[in-house]
Amino acid sequence: MGALALKGLAARRLRTALTASAVVLGVALISGTYILTDTINRSFDQIFTTGLKGIDVAITPTVTVKQEGGGGSAAATIPTSALSRVRGVAGVKQAAGDVFDVGRIFDRKGKDVAGGGAPDFVASAQPAPFSPFDYVEGRAPGAANEVALDKGTADKTGYHVGDSVPVAGDGPVRRYRLVGIARYGDVSSLAGASVAVMTLRQAQVVLSKGSSFDGIDVQSAPGTTPQALTARLRGALPRSLTVRTGQQQARSQAKDTQEGFSFITTILFVFAGVALFVGGFMIFNTFSITVAQRVREFALLRMLGASRRQVLASVVFEALAIGVLASLVGLGLGLLVAPGLRGLFKALGADLPSSGTVFEPRTAIVALLVGTLVTLIAALSPALRATRTAPIAALAEASTGRGVRSGRGRTILAALLALAGVALMAVGLFGNAQGDAALAPIGAGAALVLVGVGLLSSYVVRPIASVVGWPVERIRGLPGRLARENAVRNPRRTASTAAALMIGVALIAFVAVFAAGLTATVDRAVDDNFKGAFIVQDKNGFSPIPAASAAAVARVPGVARVSPANFSQAKVRGVSGNVAFSGVDPTTFPALYAFTWKEGSNATLARLGPDQVLLGRTFARDNHLGVGDRLDTLTATGGRPALRVAGIYEDRGNLLGDATMTNTALRRGFGARQDAFALVGLAPGAREPDVKRAIGRVLDAGFPTVEALTKAEFKRRQAAQVNQLLALFYVMLSLSVIVALFGIANTLALSIHERTRELGMLRAIGTSRKQVRTIVRWEAVITALIGALVGVALGCVFGALVTQPLKEQGFVLSYPVGTLVALVVVAGLFGVVAALLPARRAARIDVLDALAYE
Amino acid sequence: MSADSPIVSARDLTRRYGEGEAAVDALAGVTIDLPRGGFTAIMGPSGSGKSTLLHCLAGLDRPTAGTVTIDGVGLSALDDRRLTELRRDKIGFIFQAYNLLPVLTAEENLVLPLRIAGRTPDAEWVDRLVEAVGLGDRRTHRPAELSGGQQQRVAVARALVTRPAVVFADEPTGNLDSKAGHEVLDMLRRSVDDLGQTVVMVTHDPFAAAIADRLVVLADGAVIHDGAAASPDEVVDLMKAVAT
Repeated sequence: MGALALKGLAARRLRTALTASAVVLGVALISGTYILTDTINRSFDQIFTTGLKGIDVAITPTVTVKQEGGGGSAAATIPTSALSRVRGVAGVKQAAGDVFDVGRIFDRKGKDVAGGGAPDFVASAQPAPFSPFDYVEGRAPGAANEVALDKGTADKTGYHVGDSVPVAGDGPVRRYRLVGIARYGDVSSLAGASVAVMTLRQAQVVLSKGSSFDGIDVQSAPGTTPQALTARLRGALPRSLTVRTGQQQARSQAKDTQEGFSFITTILFVFAGVALFVGGFMIFNTFSITVAQRVREFALLRMLGASRRQVLASVVFEALAIGVLASLVGLGLGLLVAPGLRGLFKALGADLPSSGTVFEPRTAIVALLVGTLVTLIAALSPALRATRTAPIAALAEASTGRGVRSGRGRTILAALLALAGVALMAVGLFGNAQGDAALAPIGAGAALVLVGVGLLSSYVVRPIASVVGWPVERIRGLPGRLARENAVRNPRRTASTAAALMIGVALIAFVAVFAAGLTATVDRAVDDNFKGAFIVQDKNGFSPIPAASAAAVARVPGVARVSPANFSQAKVRGVSGNVAFSGVDPTTFPALYAFTWKEGSNATLARLGPDQVLLGRTFARDNHLGVGDRLDTLTATGGRPALRVAGIYEDRGNLLGDATMTNTALRRGFGARQDAFALVGLAPGAREPDVKRAIGRVLDAGFPTVEALTKAEFKRRQAAQVNQLLALFYVMLSLSVIVALFGIANTLALSIHERTRELGMLRAIGTSRKQVRTIVRWEAVITALIGALVGVALGCVFGALVTQPLKEQGFVLSYPVGTLVALVVVAGLFGVVAALLPARRAARIDVLDALAYE
Repeated sequence: MSADSPIVSARDLTRRYGEGEAAVDALAGVTIDLPRGGFTAIMGPSGSGKSTLLHCLAGLDRPTAGTVTIDGVGLSALDDRRLTELRRDKIGFIFQAYNLLPVLTAEENLVLPLRIAGRTPDAEWVDRLVEAVGLGDRRTHRPAELSGGQQQRVAVARALVTRPAVVFADEPTGNLDSKAGHEVLDMLRRSVDDLGQTVVMVTHDPFAAAIADRLVVLADGAVIHDGAAASPDEVVDLMKAVAT
């Protein structure tokens, strides 16, 4: 039976290829994601191992609150006194403090050399053996006005030794003389990052570290192992300092960085899952049709004495062969997908590191297993149907697969699935679970709803086809009519073909609705709350701005007041996860920002003490906090202030995080060294464009990474950021749409095969090839439109449902009508594309062959 | 063109399948003229080339050599598009297996050729054909709801609806019982008598052949008899003679 299945596959090569393609893309995405992330991880391992090669023991400040996302740099530092204490410990041969933090390096045109998402760093020059740098040109910086660059950055910018290089830390830009170009160990690139090396003293000044360090590097004396020395140093140093061996430290740093990238893996796997899900639908569909068409073949086998089990085995074996074949091709394609994904992220502004291609055995195992299993599961139900073929069917007229069974059981099952899906989504949305724990039921629920609706949609095939088919018939006449009739001929088949497309379209529509809501929400929050003229922020929209930049803007004529705000994350006893604290200037902020007070007033803010805090309404409610309550807080610098709630404000749009304090309190106790943004108010009589130009001049000269935006520009910028992410989602989801495209093509090809005789008759009585193509093309378009319309409707429902809990945080639901209409139109065009090959095939049908009597 | 000139004429038709040693001539130089308004039956044993002849005359198959002219138009000079248009406008076709479109109603199937051509059916003419088919109130039914005889009568009306120069019928009664077959033949006969339609029919049924005006018998790709039709018994005798 196996040999028969293989021969069948070989004989129907095109169909086999089309069917397999459903799985190929999903598998390629899985293996590509593994390869990409393994490569990223390997790169970071190499970078950090190199960086700590010469360091036996590394001492760093203990991280109390891991800062998530951008918004503010905050970290504790190590006082100088710790260094002398380290030097006093037996077994320490040499110890040096170092400084390493985010800074800015500019190229010859004054542009930040970063720009791929990877940051620039300012680092202190370390003595041997701690320095990871090998100077290929020049030497290490020895004076305050000297700098060295990593070779990658020097090559990229074209800087040579002797050039003047602008570098900034917390303060304005300053120019340094380039005295050295260094290779970072034997690693070719720093994952896109750039490093400016300065003397320790100058690095401390530039990064406002005072006399403290970000780390202490230790070399052990001969005869003392790093492990032993680590244990000894731990005993000698306070708990606020973490002591690790160089190797441990490298591993820990790599892990932290890799965690930062883990969301990429998650997103990509979700997309791979979607593609496989759609592919599964297509496999199911193809096998359903071919099984129906081959009823006679199965019946003949049964008449010749084949058991049901053998018939089942033959179909399952066919699925197995397709699954393995597709998985292998997908695995190979993954090698191409990995750099493709990297290119995609690069185009969207995130340069991921890559050093060679890392192919782990796990990649192959998972990809092959998942691809084969999906194919087998999808083919199982059609295979079981094949076993029910009665031997007598061999003598009956060829079945076209209509009216096989009453669909009541299927309808009930589908309805139950959809309802269970909605219930699961509701549990995720309105239940107590938070974060990832809530996302799992929402995702699983959505998948169930999609399957349920996919199965149920055979009921809407006829009405939708009549509506979208009507104009087609008007324009195209009889071919249009036939296209419509053919589309509704087997509603179940059309529905499951359209369902594959529906899934992709529904997700795209959902993402579009969600993004439109996000943009609308920010727009409204900005309109409602921002009273100033400008918002000063980093050009990339998320990096902090130097504290000095707000002061510089304040001196521009025509500016009445500037109010900087900073952010830091901290932990609060009794609250899970990090709490986002914002710090504002109590004297200037209320004039530029309209608070809606639930409890308290602007006067509360004006009087706000360093130990007092204002809470956003949702945060206060979720944690049962009210005015007068105490927040036991652990800050990023290790401080443990007890804060009193002084007021509660409406937090629509969530512009100020969970809790708000004075910005000086946040700077002192929370380690918020830089500002997140600053609001600017105009002096009476000052003209907005003039002042904006003047601010621009000041910022360009001293703080080239900072800009002032009007409210309209700020809104546009926010929308652009949302849209950039949206583009990524569109690209990835369109992969599942492409799978669905193959599905439409495959179903059409199979249907045409069934209708050979009809098409032959049409040709015999004078239908032109062009008219035949028209019939097939419009059938595809109608099928695609059914999928698109149901998909858009479902996407809107998902959008409304998922954003329901966000409503009270001020989420504004907004439907991007233009985008959704465009989505439907594009889906229709995809139908045209899907029909290209089948239509050609149908038009080529040889009339005599088609009419040949059996 | 005079009314007497043949509506379909074939000259030295040869249709060869395969090449070299294995080549088979399904038609080996057939010359035939079919006058306007005549009902011709083509008979012959299996493999005699009667279907091939019909296909070549109808422009569905291209002869290896020789010419076919329909209503003054030589088929060999036509490209695929022109040939399609010729089939659409000048030829009616009736198949053994009815070949109605299952998605269209009986009446829609009837006017199908007109709609393919983008022409508006003449209501009076369509009514007359529907009446001839004898569907009564079943004209809006789909083919699956009609009997074989009804379906084939719809197919006959479909072949007539464009008022073609010639109707070709390929074993039109092959799938029908004798009563239904007789009704179909009767309808064809009346189209010749009442409308002056030219009909060419391939059949192996002596009773069917007997209804025609003229009988052409083929054997081994050549015409061996061409004369007035006779009674079924005479046709049977003729065929027996051919077979031996």
